[in-house]
Amino acid sequence: MSYIDYILKVNDLSLDFGSESSKTLHDISFDLRKGEILGLIGNSGCGKTMTSLSVSGLLPKEARITSGNIIFDGKDLLKLSEKEMRNIRGKEIAMIFQEPYTALDPLKTVYKNLEEVLTEHEDLTKDERRQRITGMLRRVGFEDADIILGRYPHELSGGQRQRVLIAGACLLKPKLMIADEPTSSLDTVTSMSILELIKSLCAEFRMSVLFISHDLSVVGGICDRVIVMQSGKIVDSGNTFDLLYNPINPYTAGLLSNSRLDPKILDLKFNKPSFSSECILRVTGLSAGYESSRGFRKVRNEVIHDITFKILNGECIGLIGSSGCGKTTLTRAVSGLIKPTSGTISDMKGRLGVVFQDPVTCLNPSHTVKWHLEEPLKANHIKLAPSELIKVTRSSLEAVGLEEKILGRKPSQLSGGQRQRVAIAMCLMLSPSLIIADEPLSSLDTTSGARILDLLSKINRERNTSILLISHNLRVIRAATSYVLVMDNGRIVEDGPTLNVLSDPKSECTKKLLLAEEKLHQNPDRNQFMTE
Amino acid sequence: MRKKISPYFIVGSIFLLVIVLSCILGLLGAGPDPEKTNSASKLMAPSMSHLMGTDNLGRDVFARVLSASKYTLLISFAGVTVALVIGTVAGMLAGYFGGIWDRIIMLLGNSVMCFPGILLALVAVAVSGPSLFNVIWALGLVFAPTFARVYRTEVIKIKGRDYILHAKILKVNPIRIMAVHIFPNAFAQIIPAIVIGLANMTLSESAMSYLGLGVQPPKASYGKILSDAQSYITAAPWLVIFPSLMLVIYILGLYFISEGIRGDK
Repeated sequence: MSYIDYILKVNDLSLDFGSESSKTLHDISFDLRKGEILGLIGNSGCGKTMTSLSVSGLLPKEARITSGNIIFDGKDLLKLSEKEMRNIRGKEIAMIFQEPYTALDPLKTVYKNLEEVLTEHEDLTKDERRQRITGMLRRVGFEDADIILGRYPHELSGGQRQRVLIAGACLLKPKLMIADEPTSSLDTVTSMSILELIKSLCAEFRMSVLFISHDLSVVGGICDRVIVMQSGKIVDSGNTFDLLYNPINPYTAGLLSNSRLDPKILDLKFNKPSFSSECILRVTGLSAGYESSRGFRKVRNEVIHDITFKILNGECIGLIGSSGCGKTTLTRAVSGLIKPTSGTISDMKGRLGVVFQDPVTCLNPSHTVKWHLEEPLKANHIKLAPSELIKVTRSSLEAVGLEEKILGRKPSQLSGGQRQRVAIAMCLMLSPSLIIADEPLSSLDTTSGARILDLLSKINRERNTSILLISHNLRVIRAATSYVLVMDNGRIVEDGPTLNVLSDPKSECTKKLLLAEEKLHQNPDRNQFMTE
Repeated sequence: MRKKISPYFIVGSIFLLVIVLSCILGLLGAGPDPEKTNSASKLMAPSMSHLMGTDNLGRDVFARVLSASKYTLLISFAGVTVALVIGTVAGMLAGYFGGIWDRIIMLLGNSVMCFPGILLALVAVAVSGPSLFNVIWALGLVFAPTFARVYRTEVIKIKGRDYILHAKILKVNPIRIMAVHIFPNAFAQIIPAIVIGLANMTLSESAMSYLGLGVQPPKASYGKILSDAQSYITAAPWLVIFPSLMLVIYILGLYFISEGIRGDK
C-alpha cells in the first residue's frame, strides 16, 4: 500500500486539569487509517478514556487541552465550535460505552431510543426511519427486530443492549466509531459475538474503530494495530501480531502475561487437594429461588435446581457458567441470604467469607477502612483487647498487601483493586475456612486482577483456606482451581478435575464456553499481516 | 480539585443568617419590649424611634418581628425534627423489611398524605387546643410521611448493594444494619428534603397562626403579625411589609440552600 488514507491524526496532545501536577496526557500522537481497527490498551487511570473523550469532544469542563491538535477527516476538531462539533459527533464519530444500560434512556423503547439519533441528524419520513432502524437491528443480529423495537432497555440482556447501542451508533454510517471497553461487563460468549459484530460492521461500512480495552489478549482477534498507554504516555505501539507474539517493551509483556494469567509466569501456587482432607461444606440437592408477589399471590421462581457438590479443606474449587446461569443465586443460598426450597447445606465447618464482584459497592462509602475491618468482629460479638485487635487488623492488612496508613481512608479514596483487597481483608478478620469469591476479577483491569488472584493463592496456601472461585473467565479457572463445576440454566451440568473438564469437555455448555474463550483470545492470523 | 461552592448556597446562607441574627437579637431582648402597648403611639410610620413603625396597639413592630423570628425558627426546626425522627424510623422499617410492614406503614403514611396537610394539622390543634407544643407535634406528624417516603426509596436502593449483603452474611443484626450501615448513606439524600421541609413547615405555621390556631398572643410569629395586621393593610402598610419581607427572606434562603446543595452533586 503506497498511499495511506488517514481518518484521524492526533498530534502531541497534552491535557491537564488546571495545573501542571494534574497532567493526564503527555504528548499523545497516533493515527488511524480508514477502515482500520486500532486498539488502545492500558490499565485503569492510564488516560485511555481521556484520549477518546478528547476525540469526541466530550471532555469534562475542568479538563484543559494544553497543546496538540486532533485532525479528523481534514478538520481540526479542537478549533470547531460546540455546534459544529455536535454535528460531527453522532453523525461522523459514534461512540459505544462499557455499560450499555446507562447509555439508553430507560423510559423509552428501543425504537424511540434509536429514532432520536435519526431525527437529530437526518430528514426522513416516519416510514423511512422505521425501515432503516429495523434493517440495522437485523444487521446487528436481531432476527425478530420488530419485537425488539417495542422493548424497553430493562427487558433486554446486557449483550442485547450492547447490540442496540451498536445499531444506534451505526445508523448514520459514521466514519469513526469509538468503542470504550464495550465487552468488559459481558461474559465470554457474549463478548465474542459483540467483537465479531464490530469487526464485520467495520468492514461493511468501511468504518474506522478506536477500540479501548484493558485486556491486551482480547484485542488479538479484532485489532489491526495496537497502542499501549501507561500513565498518560504512549509506551508501545505496533501491529497486533508483533505485539502479541513478540512483545519487546517490558510493560507490554507484563500486561500480556497478566491477561493470560499464566500460572508459571505469575507464580501462582494453589494448594493441591488431598483426598483425605476433611470436607468443610457439603451441598446436597439444593434448589433455591426468589419470591415475588403479584397482588396477593406469591410467585416462587426457582433459579437453581438440585445442586450437589462438596468442598474439601484447603481446596480451591471453580464454578463457571455464562451470565444468568444461577451462579450468584447459588452463592446467596450457600451464604444463607436466601432460604433453599429443598436440599441441605451441611457439614459447614468454620466461618464463611464472601468477596463480591463490584469493587464500587462492596464497601460502605460512609465508613473508613478501619471500621470495615472491625465490623465483622462486632457483628459476631467478638470482643478483643485493643492490642489484640491491632494485631489481627495488622495481620489481615498484611495478608492482602495493604499498608497500615490506609486504615483512615474512606472507600472513595481507594482504587478498585485496593477496595477489593479491603473486602478480602474483611473476610480474613474472622479467619474463615471458606471464601466464596464471586467474579472478583471481572471489573478490575488485568494487572490488578492478576494481583488479586495471586493474593487469593497466597491466602489459600498460607492459611489453608478453601476458596470457591466463581468466574466466566476460563483462564482464571484454569490458573487457579483444581476442581471445577460447570453450571448452565441453574443446574450443574458437568464437574470434575479442572484439567480433565477443560481439555475434554462433555457438556454443550462447556464446549461453547471453551470455543468462545479460544476465539476471544485467539492470536492474530499471520497471513493477515503478510499481505501488507 | 477544589470544590466550587454554588452561588445559590452562598446567597441562601446570607438570607438565613439575617433571620438567625434577628432571632438572636430577639432572644437578647434588643429594642423595646415587643409586648408593651402604648396608646399614645398607635400605627406610627417607620421613623428613627420605631424602625418599622408601630401597630394598632402601639407596639414596636421591629421588636415584634425580632421576637417572631424566635418562634418561627423554633416551630420550624422542632417540627422538622419531629417529622424527621418519625419519618426516618418508619421509612427505614418499611424499606428494609418490605412486604407486610411496608404495606402497613405506607398505607398509614399515604392516608395522612391524602388530606391537605394544613387541614389535618388544624384539626389536630383544634382538638388538642392551640399551644406552641401542639402546633409542633401536629405539623411534625403531618410532615412525617414525606420523609418516610424519601427514606424508604433510599433504603430500597441501598439494601441491594453488596456491602449490605455482606453485612447480612456476617450476621450483623438488622437494627445495626439500618442504623450503622444504611442510615449514614441515606442521610445525604435527605438533606434537601429537610431544607424544603423547613420552608414548608414555616409556611404552614404562618397559615395556622393567620387562622388563629398557631402561636397565641401576646407571643407572635410572622403569620400571627400578618393576621393581626390585615385590617390596617391600607392605613399602615408597614405592618404587613416588614414581617412578610422576613418570611420571604427566610423561605427564599432555605430554597436557595437546597438548590445549592443539589447543584453540588
